[in-house]
Amino acid sequence: MASVLVIEDDDRIRSSLVLALEDEGYTAYGAATAEDGLAHQQAQPADTVLVDLMLPGLDGYECIRELRRHDDVPVVVVSARSDTHDIVAGLEAGADDYLVKPVAIKELTARLRALRRRTRPTGQAAPTLSFGDLQIRPLAGEVTRNGARIALTRTEFRLLCELAQHAGLVLSRQQLLERVWEYEYGDERLVDVHVGRLRAKIEDEPGNPRHLVTVRGLGYKLQR
Amino acid sequence: MRRAGLRTRVTAGFAAGALAISAAVALLSYDLTRRTLLAGRERSATRAAFFDANVARAGLAADNPDVVEVLRNLDIGSTRRAVVRRNGQWYARNADAGVTAAIPAALQQRVGNNQFAVQRVHTDTGMALAIGIPLGDGTQFYVLDSLDELDQTMRVLSLVLTLVAAGTTAAGAALGAYASRRVLRPLTTVAEAARDISAGDLNARLDTAGDPDLKQLTTSFNDMVDQLANRIERDRRFAADVSHELRSPLQTLAAAASVLHHRRDQLDDRTARAADLVTDEVGRFQALVTDLLELARADQPPERSPVDVAELARRVCHSRHLPDDLVTITPDHQTTWLVDPRRFEQVLANLLDNAARYGGAPVAVRLGSASGLRYLEVDDEGPGVPPQDRQAIFDRFVRGRTASARGEADGTGLGLALVAQHVNAHGGRVFVTDRPGGGARFRVELPPDTP
Repeated sequence: MASVLVIEDDDRIRSSLVLALEDEGYTAYGAATAEDGLAHQQAQPADTVLVDLMLPGLDGYECIRELRRHDDVPVVVVSARSDTHDIVAGLEAGADDYLVKPVAIKELTARLRALRRRTRPTGQAAPTLSFGDLQIRPLAGEVTRNGARIALTRTEFRLLCELAQHAGLVLSRQQLLERVWEYEYGDERLVDVHVGRLRAKIEDEPGNPRHLVTVRGLGYKLQR
Repeated sequence: MRRAGLRTRVTAGFAAGALAISAAVALLSYDLTRRTLLAGRERSATRAAFFDANVARAGLAADNPDVVEVLRNLDIGSTRRAVVRRNGQWYARNADAGVTAAIPAALQQRVGNNQFAVQRVHTDTGMALAIGIPLGDGTQFYVLDSLDELDQTMRVLSLVLTLVAAGTTAAGAALGAYASRRVLRPLTTVAEAARDISAGDLNARLDTAGDPDLKQLTTSFNDMVDQLANRIERDRRFAADVSHELRSPLQTLAAAASVLHHRRDQLDDRTARAADLVTDEVGRFQALVTDLLELARADQPPERSPVDVAELARRVCHSRHLPDDLVTITPDHQTTWLVDPRRFEQVLANLLDNAARYGGAPVAVRLGSASGLRYLEVDDEGPGVPPQDRQAIFDRFVRGRTASARGEADGTGLGLALVAQHVNAHGGRVFVTDRPGGGARFRVELPPDTP
């Protein structure tokens, strides 16, 4: 049974989300502060974490960065903030997806299912896709640069694989949203921020990328 | 009548002033010159007349002199004509009757009384000086000295002075136009700043380091903009706070309603019906709050990026289970537009939802360009929108008549208001017309992308 950790300081929202998620068949845990949530995740790791941005003590952004330090557990921001800079900051901190309150439970569970499907495969005899100094083994779930392993979140990895499997072709933001996030249509900022995060990890000069380039007006493509 | 502008009035004022001054100077100098020249001319004419009179007196001193012969012997130019009246009889060099007629009776009277007299007279050939000198023995000597030459000079002078006055007036007008433009230039700057501000640029300020005479204007203008910006920021923050305050309880309601919905089977009939009402209303409340918040932010400038609107339109149709072939594009039309993707999507989505709610269903979505504008049209085959409602439907909380009459107002009443705000933010407009063949046609027009 999939488990979800809900880090939310509002008691009513937290308990209603836990109730609703349990009804949908999840094992749900609640934490009122980032510190409690992080401790819980250490002791009893959940499959997915929902985080509010405004938390007492350690805030949501710090909480996401702290979670990312340990593993690549999918993190979804559920926040009342809907301004672009809040969304981008949440994603840049390392979140995989961003939902604005009030989010319908149906929508939330759809997102959780999509995230679960984005698990990292662990095959051994995997083909290697080479992009200059970059080696991608989609089935092994591994990316190396000059032989050194690069730590990517699941979403970053799926995004890189999607681009690598269509090497040299331009994929639009909407295509990437559909294929990586399984959004029928959604917020293109998700793609942009994840591309930025990927570049920071795989490019020598993230500001002047060599592999993952923007094709103005069309989308992104991965090249050698 | 419309009042003339400040610039026109200043220019006219300068021109009138220049005209008054130059006309006064011209008249004065004309008069002075004329007097001086005339006085000089009178003196020389008198001197010459006395000389001629002496010659004539000498000639007439003989016994029984031939007066005409005496006159003929006078060395007299073509501009002067001499006559003699002797014992009531006129004598002239030639038979020119006009001369005697031109000498006024008053002058003759005075000369007859043995007095020297000068008078300016009009003759058939122009202005002249009539000079009368008594020669004694009932004989008077008259000279009619033409002032034609002087007249000519004065005419030239008056022409020159008129031209100078006209030139001065024109120069005054030009100076006025220049000065008013210069003086009004800071106002133009203010107008430009005000325009920038109303276009949403709250960072526009006037340069306070400029003209010290304008410091008060620039300072108070900048203060006003500061206050305005503060107020807008306060409003924005208020909207954000309200947003947060509404979103949080709504999240609880949404989650709790989902639990109720999920366990509907375990409820008795009445409770289940109540639970359904709660669930439905929470959904509507949610949509309302989302739209309200969107509306509160809608005056912000759009975050433009190149968007393939044809693809976006098909996607939005697809997500509403509408056939893809609903969307048609003008042949050869470039479908990549520079718009805010989120807001443009909402425009289309709201128009489609509106068509579904009040017009049965959307029957066509058209994208294209005509006469320099890019357009988006959404058609439905519903009852259409009566002309008196065509403006009001874009106001907040106005719903279609048929819907409210049937009590089916399930929309938030903000959909078309949001469409209008988003389109305005893009510098375009939206309006509704009749669709040929029945129904409504909503048309969004956007100006071309500025590169």
